Order: sequence, then C-alpha cells, then structure tokens
Amino acid sequence: MSDLAGHVVLVTGGSRGIGRAIALELGAAGATVAVHYRSRAADAAEVVRRIVEQGSEARSFSANVANRAEAAAMVRAAGEWKGRLDGVVTSAGIYHGPALEEVGAEDWEEMFRTDVEGTFRTVQAARPFLDRSDRAAVVTVSSVLGSHAAVGGAPYQMAKAAIEQMTRALALELAPRIRVNSVAPGFIRTDINRTGHEDPAFHALVARSTPLKRWGDPEEVAPSVRFLLSREADWVTGTILGIDGGIALR
Amino acid sequence: MSAPTTPPPRVALVTGGSRGIGRAVALAFARNGADVAFSYRREPAAADETASAIRGLGRRVFYRASDAADATDAARFVEEAASELGRLDVVVPNAGIAPDTGWEEVAPETWTHLLSTLLVGPYATVRAATPHLRVSGGSVVLVASIAGFSAYPEELPYAAAKAGVISLARSLALALAPQVRVNAVAPGWVRTGMTRELYDDPRSRTAIERSTPRGRWGEPEDVAAAVIFLASDGARFITGETLVVDGGESLGWRVGRLR
Ligand SMILES: NC(=O)c1ccc[n+]([C@@H]2O[C@H](COP(=O)([O-])OP(=O)(O)OC[C@H]3O[C@@H](n4cnc5c(N)ncnc54)[C@H](OP(=O)(O)O)[C@@H]3O)[C@@H](O)[C@H]2O)c1
Ligand SMILES: NC(=O)c1ccc[n+]([C@@H]2O[C@H](COP(=O)([O-])OP(=O)(O)OC[C@H]3O[C@@H](n4cnc5c(N)ncnc54)[C@H](OP(=O)(O)O)[C@@H]3O)[C@@H](O)[C@H]2O)c1
Repeated sequence: MSDLAGHVVLVTGGSRGIGRAIALELGAAGATVAVHYRSRAADAAEVVRRIVEQGSEARSFSANVANRAEAAAMVRAAGEWKGRLDGVVTSAGIYHGPALEEVGAEDWEEMFRTDVEGTFRTVQAARPFLDRSDRAAVVTVSSVLGSHAAVGGAPYQMAKAAIEQMTRALALELAPRIRVNSVAPGFIRTDINRTGHEDPAFHALVARSTPLKRWGDPEEVAPSVRFLLSREADWVTGTILGIDGGIALR
Repeated sequence: MSAPTTPPPRVALVTGGSRGIGRAVALAFARNGADVAFSYRREPAAADETASAIRGLGRRVFYRASDAADATDAARFVEEAASELGRLDVVVPNAGIAPDTGWEEVAPETWTHLLSTLLVGPYATVRAATPHLRVSGGSVVLVASIAGFSAYPEELPYAAAKAGVISLARSLALALAPQVRVNAVAPGWVRTGMTRELYDDPRSRTAIERSTPRGRWGEPEDVAAAVIFLASDGARFITGETLVVDGGESLGWRVGRLR
C-alpha cells in the first residue's frame, strides 16, 4: 500500500467517523498528521495518541469551519506547524435531512457554511502551504448524494454537489502542481447517521439496497484517501471516486 | 457486520499484457506477489520479454497468443490460465487497439472488428472468469478510456466501444455483486505503442502536454497503480466505479481563465 512517509497532512473532522479513520490510516502509512476537530477535544486527543503510538507525529487543531476566520486561522496554525502541507483532507461536515417545508434559514446557513464554505475556506487557506510541497494533494469528501438524489435533505445533497464541482474547478485552477480529488462515500456507519443505522429497519433497508449487501465502515473509505494522496496517484486529478458498495448503480 | 478483509491477489489475469499498460499492470501484480496469466495478439518477442520479467520477480507466468476479438478463444484462455495457475483473483481485460477510423466511412466490418475486440472480448473474458472469481471473492478491473465520455470523432467506433466498457463495468458490478467487485479505469493520453506516433511528433506531443492540466503524458505505471488499488483490499467497498486517470484532461476548459 501507498507509503506516505514524509508527508504532512491536515485532516479536518479528524476526531470522529470517516475523518478519524483517515487520520489513523495516514498515520499508519507514515504521514505526519494534523488532526482537526471542532469541539470533541478528547476524541481528537485519542486519535493523536494512537498515531503517535504507531510511530508517526500528530497534533490536534480546533476550529468551527463554518466560521471563516476560525477556519483560516486553524489551517494557518496547522501549516506553520511543519512549515508546509503535502495533503489536505476535508472531512469535517454535518448532515440534516429535513423535508422541503422544514428547511429553515438556520438549517440552510449551517449546511452551506459548514460543508461548502468550510471545505472551500480550508483549501483556500491551505494553498500557500501546499505551494511549498512537491507532492501536494487535496481530497475533499462528497457523498453518493452529491450526484444521486434521495428524498429529504435537499440542502445536504446540493452542498455535496457543490463540493464535487469545487473539486473539479480547483483541480483545474491549482494545476499543474496541486492535485484535487474527491471521495464520495455511500452509507458508512458513523455518528452522523447513528439514529439511522441503529434503527434495525433502516439498517436492513440500506444493506438490502446496497449491491454489496451491507453498510460500509470508515476504515473502508480511508485507503482510497491514502491512495489519492500518494505519489502513486500522481496523474489522478479532478476525479470523484465513489466508495458506496455499488448503491449508485441504480 | 463488517466485511472480512481480503488477502492480496494471488493470481491475476491480464489480456494484452505483453506491452504498454497491460505489461505495467502484469508487472505490478507480480511485484505485489501475484502469479500472472497474460495474453497477447501477435508479437511473441515482447511477450517473451514480459514473461521473463515476471519470472525475474519470482512469480509464475502463463501466457500465449489469444485474440480478444475471438470470444471463444478468450474464454478458453481464461480456463487454461485458471487451471495452470490454480485460481483467479483479479481479471483485467485490457487488450485493445485504437485505429484512426474517423467517423464518415466506418465500414461494417470495422465496426464488428472493433466492437469484438474492445467490448465482446472483455465481456467473454469476465463471463468465463466469473465462476473462478466467485470462489476467490475476486474482482475485475476493466480498461475503458476518457474517449468513452468525451468526443473523439477521429476514432468514433473506439470511443463508442469504450463508452460500452464503462457500461459493462456498471451492469456487471450489479450482476456479480456481492461476491465479485467490478470496476474500471479510464485513462487519458498514456505513452505506449498505441500513442507512439503522437508522442514522437513534437507538435502533437507538446499539444497533449499542454492540454493535460497535470502537464505531462501518463505513463503505463500511472494506470497500473490505479488498477492495483481497485483490485486491493483497500477498495473492498468500491464496485461499479470508473476511476479516471488522465492528469485532469477531461475536466473542462483549460485555455486561459474564464472571466
Ligand atoms: N457517514 C456517512 O455515511 C457519510 C456518507 C457520505 C459522506 N459523508 C461525509 O463524510 C464527512 C464525515 O462524516 P462522518 O460520517 O465521519 O461524520 P461524524 O462522525 O459526525 O464526524 C464529523 C466530524 O466533523 C467535525 N465537524 C462537524 N461540524 C464541524 C464544524 N462546524 N467545524 C469543524 N468540524 C466539524 C466533527 O468534529 P467534533 O468531533 O469536534 O464534533 C467530526 O470530527 C462529512 O462530510 C459527511 O457528509 C459521510
Ligand atoms: N495509451 C493510451 O493513451 C490509452 C488511453 C486510454 C485507454 N487505453 C487502453 O488501454 C489498453 C491498452 O492500451 P496500450 O496503450 O497499452 O496499447 P499497446 O501499447 O498498443 O499494447 C496493446 C497490448 O494489447 C495486445 N493486444 C492488442 N490487440 C489485441 C487483441 N486483439 N487480442 C489480444 N491482445 C491484443 C498487444 O499485443 P501485441 O503486442 O501482440 O500486439 C499489446 O500487448 C487498451 O484497451 C487501450 O484502449 C490506452
């Protein structure tokens, strides 16, 4: 598997769920990891502890990415830690699934501020640090719902579609030096969908609807991110890689 | 109930494995510890060289000429490979040709020949390999092309066939789930025998460098790395996907800025 020794990578939302699995995987691959979180300091500290235990360097950084100034300051701090960033992974995100008539002003703002602008400002602030790398790569986190529709949560789906187009636009704008790709997970068991996957009926419905007949785990998203950040993916940019057990097929 | 991890592939089959992308894929699997079966069309010297490179890596190899356009022989090749090497974990139908046919005067025989080679052949290979892959819990990685979703009137039947390969990846992924995963790679301009004339002419070579956001041609190893990843345990929740490996070629407008 791809070796990331010598890479310095910032993972937003690294305290829990998919971001946590990514941070651990990158650490295991030899990367130095800046583990970002919003408020769960203990969870972030645990991720840092585990990476250090495996023999790589790690440190935690906190910010609400929905706040522009906070996001930019956090990325600067992470960049200044080692003086450069070779990789940025934007996994910080939230999910709401309200029906059309229930989408209030706050839901709307929180969704777009966190998922869309949070991702954008993170990459924007990271750019000067990525410019100092000879292997710079960004991996954003979309969702199968960024290109396949479901009933409920239209703003989330729109936000993920925005992240996909952001990925393509920035892949072009930051070429040739910085690669930008995205992963689009299907149903992955994390806190974000805990009420869903703990409901036996919903759990079974998702497993049945997924061609591989099960939910995915965060550890099944992480290796794709590791690949996309590595030198082995040196000619891969602007790509959206689905990791969804085939649920997008029909 | 999470999926059990799958061990690295022990036997990989690659059609058109003697040169170019197929050769890089075959060698990458061998380097990762797999025995390799590969076919070629008609250049035994290149095939012998690739076979000895695989042996040099300490792996077993089974190879012979087998025309991908002959579906019956493509299936026979799969059976021979499975019995010779004992099992099949990964199948990469890669054999292909990309003649400049244009769009205006594509004779029915040309259509038949190209569709047989690029679409029916890969289908026959996967179909024959299915029972073996079901046993091993293996996977398929098809070789499509960005020509499958961008316009290439210079080689219209090739582009249409590659669109068909992307479709094959999707339909076969559903058909063979959950035991067998099926994915594809869609390369852009890769430096191989197929593109040698374009690479050797400085004008087309630099035109392609400029049109590729990453600023360079692809190497066969760039594509092989993506194939290896899709066939690995790290990709065990990925099926039906087409991974674009093109240096950004298919992204959009790259001349100047839109203001
Ligand atoms: N799980 C799935 O099925 C699935 C599928 C497709 C896509 N995704 C996407 O994957 C990403 C990660 O999701 P997940 O399932 O891992 O969720 P999760 O387990 O809920 O983790 C969310 C992470 O994001 C951080 N975060 C949330 N809001 C933030 C904010 N305003 N500012 C800074 N950090 C914030 C959290 O930090 P704290 O720990 O400090 O709260 C936490 O680390 C999201 O973009 C999600 O849309 C998930
Ligand atoms: N190069 C690119 O820019 C590019 C881009 C996108 C997709 N692709 C695809 O990648 C695949 C490999 O292309 P390449 O560039 O590596 O081509 P290449 O350098 O020309 O090599 C082709 C290989 O396939 C074999 N082959 C050709 N026709 C065959 C047939 N009918 N039956 C069995 N084997 C056959 C050749 O064997 P012999 O030596 O015996 O002829 C050789 O080993 C093709 O599917 C191609 O469409 C290539």
